[in-house]
Amino acid sequence: MTTLSLPSSAPLLRPRNRYVAGLLTWRGVTGLVLVGVVALAGLLAPWLTDADPDAQGAQALAGPSGAHPLGTDDIGRDLLSRILHGILTDLSIILTAVPAGALIGAALALLAATSRAADLVVQRLFDLVLSFPGLILGLAVTAILGPGRWPVVIIIALAEVPYFGRQLRAGVLVQREREYALAARVGGAGRARVLLRHVLPNAVDPLIVQGAVALSVGVFIEGALSFLGLGVRPPQPTLGSLISGSVAYLDTDPLLAAAPLAVTTALVLGFTLLAEALNRGARS
Amino acid sequence: MRTFLFKRLPSGLAVLVAASFTVFLMLRLIPGDPATTLAGPDASPATVAAIRERLGLDAPLLSQYLHWLGQVLTGDLGPSYAIGGQVSELIGDGLAATFQLTLAALLLVVVLAVPTALYAASGRRRPLAGALRALTTGALAVPPFVTGVLLVLVFAVGLGLLPAGGHASLFDAPDLAVQYLALPALCLALPSAAILARYLQDGLERALGEDYVRNATALGVSRRRILWRHALPNALPSAVTVLGLQIGQLIAGAVVVERIFAWPGLGQLIEQGVSRRDYPVVQDLLLLVVAGYVAVQLLTDLLYSWLDPRVRWE
Amino acid sequence: MNAFSAGSGGPLSLPAISRRALLRGSLAGAGLLALSACRSAADSSPGADAASGGAASPRRGGVLTVGVGVDFTPALLFAQSANSLLQRLVFNTLTRYDEQLRPQPELAKSWEVAPDGLSVTLKLREDVTFHSGRKFTADDVVFAVKNLQNPVRSAQLRSTALTVTDFRKNGDFELTLVLAHPVSNLFDLFEFMIVPDSESVEDAVAGTKLIGTGPFTFTERKPGSSLSFARNEKYWNPGRPYLDGVEIKVIPQAETLLSSVKTGQTHLTYAVRGKDVATLKDDKRFRITQYDTGAGAFYIGANLSFPEVQDKRVRQAIAWAIDRDRLVQQALGGYATVSSVPWPKSSPAYREEDAKRYHHDPEKAKALLKEAGVTSLSLPLAHQSDAGSTAVAQILQYDLKQVGIEVQLQPVDSPTMQKQLISQSMPALWTLSHSFSQAHPATLAVSAYPFNEAKNTSKFSSPAYTEAVQRAWNRSDADSPEAKALYQQVTDILLDEQFIVDLAIAGLVEVAGAQVRGVTLNKYSYLNLDDAYLAG
Repeated sequence: MTTLSLPSSAPLLRPRNRYVAGLLTWRGVTGLVLVGVVALAGLLAPWLTDADPDAQGAQALAGPSGAHPLGTDDIGRDLLSRILHGILTDLSIILTAVPAGALIGAALALLAATSRAADLVVQRLFDLVLSFPGLILGLAVTAILGPGRWPVVIIIALAEVPYFGRQLRAGVLVQREREYALAARVGGAGRARVLLRHVLPNAVDPLIVQGAVALSVGVFIEGALSFLGLGVRPPQPTLGSLISGSVAYLDTDPLLAAAPLAVTTALVLGFTLLAEALNRGARS
Repeated sequence: MRTFLFKRLPSGLAVLVAASFTVFLMLRLIPGDPATTLAGPDASPATVAAIRERLGLDAPLLSQYLHWLGQVLTGDLGPSYAIGGQVSELIGDGLAATFQLTLAALLLVVVLAVPTALYAASGRRRPLAGALRALTTGALAVPPFVTGVLLVLVFAVGLGLLPAGGHASLFDAPDLAVQYLALPALCLALPSAAILARYLQDGLERALGEDYVRNATALGVSRRRILWRHALPNALPSAVTVLGLQIGQLIAGAVVVERIFAWPGLGQLIEQGVSRRDYPVVQDLLLLVVAGYVAVQLLTDLLYSWLDPRVRWE
Repeated sequence: MNAFSAGSGGPLSLPAISRRALLRGSLAGAGLLALSACRSAADSSPGADAASGGAASPRRGGVLTVGVGVDFTPALLFAQSANSLLQRLVFNTLTRYDEQLRPQPELAKSWEVAPDGLSVTLKLREDVTFHSGRKFTADDVVFAVKNLQNPVRSAQLRSTALTVTDFRKNGDFELTLVLAHPVSNLFDLFEFMIVPDSESVEDAVAGTKLIGTGPFTFTERKPGSSLSFARNEKYWNPGRPYLDGVEIKVIPQAETLLSSVKTGQTHLTYAVRGKDVATLKDDKRFRITQYDTGAGAFYIGANLSFPEVQDKRVRQAIAWAIDRDRLVQQALGGYATVSSVPWPKSSPAYREEDAKRYHHDPEKAKALLKEAGVTSLSLPLAHQSDAGSTAVAQILQYDLKQVGIEVQLQPVDSPTMQKQLISQSMPALWTLSHSFSQAHPATLAVSAYPFNEAKNTSKFSSPAYTEAVQRAWNRSDADSPEAKALYQQVTDILLDEQFIVDLAIAGLVEVAGAQVRGVTLNKYSYLNLDDAYLAG
C-alpha cells in the first residue's frame, strides 16, 4: 500500500525498554500515581481506618465528623471505611476478570487465524455473546450461580472476550498481509510460526489500549450489576454498589455519591493514562 | 460483494438458531416461573396449575420450543403472558421508541466524539485538550444511572427546561418528542462517545506517527491536510468497528437509560418481560436483538472491507 | 501515494476546524432550545381553562396525572397486586367501607344478612349501565362472584367467594346469595369484588378492553408507559366525575418519579419512598396523606421445615433481636409504624399492647437462644434485590448478628421470590411485606398466603390456629365481643409462634400536588376519583 514506508520489523529498542520508557513520560507517571494511590488506599484500608465497613449505627446520613471523616450512609455505616474496602473488592474483581477475558479472547482470535472455518465459528461466537443484552447475561449467570463475587467476575470476563478477540483478529488480518509477513511466508516459514513470531507481536498493540479500557469498563459493569441488584452479595462494599446506593440521595446527600465517584474517576483516569503511555511507548 | 454476502448469510442464520436455543433454555434456567408470577402473591396451587395449563407450560420442553419456533416462522407471535396485548405489537412499539432513542444517541456519539478526537489529535499541549480528556474520562467513570438522575435533577427539577421523563411520538408531536428525547439520548451517548473518541484519537495519532506521514510532513504537506486526507481515512476502519460494537452497547445501555427516563422502548420491555417471566416477549425480543445485531455486524464488516482494502475476504 | 506531493494546505489552521465544529454543535443546541420554546413538555398545565369557582366548589375539567412505579398486569385485574389503582376508576364494587369499616352503598343500594348468617339479600341500583351501553342487572353480580371463584383469576378473596353456593334472583335488581356457612368477611368481598362486563371479561384480562360501570372509561393503554381514561358521561353518580380524564403514567425509577412530582408533571402518586416523602412534607406545594390500609407490612418469615428455626424460642429471639425503630427510621424514612402484629390501627383485632409486644432487647434474644440450646446459628435470608429491600435486609442481618445469629443474604428478583413464596420453597428465613390485614381479621388468615391456616409458606400448622381462624371466619357477627375474643386468640397464637415476625406497617402514603382535591382510596387501595378535582 505505501511505497514510502519501510517494513517495520526492526525496532530500535527492545520491546520491554520501550514500554518502560513509555511509563516514564508524564502520562505514565500520573497514571501510575493515580492507580497506585487508589490501590494502596484499598490495600491499607485496615490501617487507614479502624471503622468496620459493615458496622451499623443509629446515626444515618450524618455529615463528616471526627468519628466518620466522610460521614455515614443510609443505614449508619462509615462511608470512608466502605469506600476503602470497596476499592479492594473492585480491584480484585477486575484484575481477575480482565486478564481472563483477554486471554480467552486472544486464544480464540488465534484459533480463528488458523483456518477459515475456525474463523467463521469464532466470529459467530463473538456475535452471539455481543448480541445478548448485558441484563440477560447478568441475570442468567447470577441465576445459575447465585449472587456473589464470582458471577460478577464471569460476567465481566465474558463481556470482554469478544472485544479482545475482535481487536486481535482485526490486527492479525491487517498484519498478515504486510510485507514482512508475506516475506516470511515466502521465505518458507510455517503458518503457525509466522502467526506467532511475526504477526502476533505486531498485532498485540491495540490490546494494550483495550486492556486499560477493559479495566475501566469492568468497574462500569460491576456498577451496573449492582444497580440491577445482581452484584456482589451485600453487605460487602464495592465501588459500584456504593454509587448505585447513593443515587437515591443525590439531591439531599451528594457526598454519598461524590466520594465513591471521585475514587472511581481517579481509577479509570489512571488506567487510561497508563494505557496511553504504554501505547505511545510501544510506538516510539 | 455478492459472494461475500452469500458466504456470510448462512453463518448468520446459524447464529440465530444457536441464539434461539440459548434464549429458550436460559429463560427456563432462570428461577421463578410465569405461572407463579401471574398467579399473584397469595395464590393456591390450584390457581398456579390452572394458569400453567392455560399457558401450555405443562407440555414437554421440546414441544414448547418447537411450538415457539413455529410461531416465529409463521410470523404469528401470539399474545404475551403477563404484560398484555400481542407480542408483535409490544415489540413494534418498543422498537420504534428505542430506534428513535438509539438513533439520536448515535448521532450524538458521532457529533461528540469525532470533533473531540480530531481536536485532541490535531496538536500537542492544547489547553482545552486536558479538559476534554477529563470530560471523556468522566463520561466513562460516571455510570449512566448517576448521569441520568443528575441530568433530571439539573434540567428538569433545577432549571425546569426539559421533562423529567416520559415519551411522545415523533410523528404526532415532534416538538414535544425532541424534548423528551434530549436527556435520555445524551445520557446514553456519553460513555460510547468517550470510548469512540479515545479509539479515534488513538488511531489518528498512530496514523500520524507512521513513516509516510513523517515523510509527507518533511515534504511540506500541512498538518491539517495530513489529518483529514491521510490520518482520518486510516483511522476510520477501526473506529467503524468500535462504533459497530457501540451500537450493541447502546441497545444494552438502553435498559438502564430507558428505565431512568421512563422511555417505553425495548430496554423497558425486556426488563418488564424478565421481571414478570413473560417468556414469549423475552424470547422473541432477544431473538430480534440477535438478528438485528447480526445484520449490523454484516453491514459493519462490509463497510470495513470497503474502507480498508487491506482486509481481504479470500 | 502521490497525494503527498502537493502542499495545498492553505492558511486555515487546525483550531479553526474545531471552532467550526463547536459552532455547529452550539447551533444544534440552539435549535433544540428554540424548539422547546414553542411548546414545553416540562410544563405542568393544571388542565382546562374553566374558571375556578373558589376553593369551596369543585372545579370541573382537567386531566389528573397519576404516577406509578409498576405497570398494570391485566391478568391480575381481579387480584390485589402492585398496581390496583385503576380498578375503581373503570369498575364499581357492591359496597364500600367507611373509616369504621361500616359498609356504604355503591352498586348495592341496601342489603340484609339473614339472622342465621347463611344468606344475604342485595337490592341493586337500577340506573346503572356499562360503558358498552348494556344495562347492569343482578346477572352481572352473579357473574362477578362466579368470576372470582375461578382459580385463574387469582383473587385473594376466592375462599370467601367460594362460600357462595347459590344465587336466587328476585327480578332484575334483587338478588340473594346463599352461603355454605356464615362468614365474617362477607363485606370484604363486596369491597374487593369489582363488577366487570361479562361479555368482555376475557379481553379485560388480556388488557385490550376494560368495560365496567365506573366513573371513567378506558381509552388507551401503552404497555409499560401509560393508561388513559376519559370521563364516563353516563355515570350513575350524578354530576360526577369532575375530571375530564385520568392518565396513569408508569415511571419505574423512583428518583425520576419524585422529580416528576416535584416538577408538577405528576399530580398524584402512592409510589414515593418514605425517605423522599420526608423531604416533601414541609413543602406547601404538596399534600401528604397516610392511608391505614395495612398494605406494606414488613416481616421476617421462618420456614419451619428447617430444623434450625423449628424451636419457637429461636423465632422469638429473632423477634426480640430486631431494632424496629431503627428499621423504620433508616429504611422507611419514618413513614411506618413499629408493630409486632399484622393488624393496622383501624383493624378490630388491633390492641396496642400486642403491637408493642416485641421490642429491641438483644439480651432477651440471647437468653432465649441459650435456653433453646443454640450456641451458633447460621441462616440464609432471602430478600428482594431492589435497593429498598436490600437496605431492610442488611439492617436485619446486622441486628441478628449482634445476638449471635449469622445471616447470609440471598438477594433474588421478585418473580423468584414469588415462586419461593407460593411454592413453599423459601430458605430458613426471608423478608417481604404482606397485605390483607386491613379489613376483617379473618380475611388475613384465609386469604393472605403467609398466614393461611391450611397451607402457608412457613409450613406452620397447629390445630389451635386452624380452629381459632375457622371460628373467627365462620360467623356473621364480625364486630361482636365473641368475634373480637377469637381475633385475640389468633393474635396470641401469631405472637407466640412467630412463624411470621411482624416488624412494621407502612400503609400507603399519598403525595398529591396542592391543587388535587377529593381523592380517596378504598381498603384494597383502589383509587376512587368520583369526587376528585383539580383546584384552579
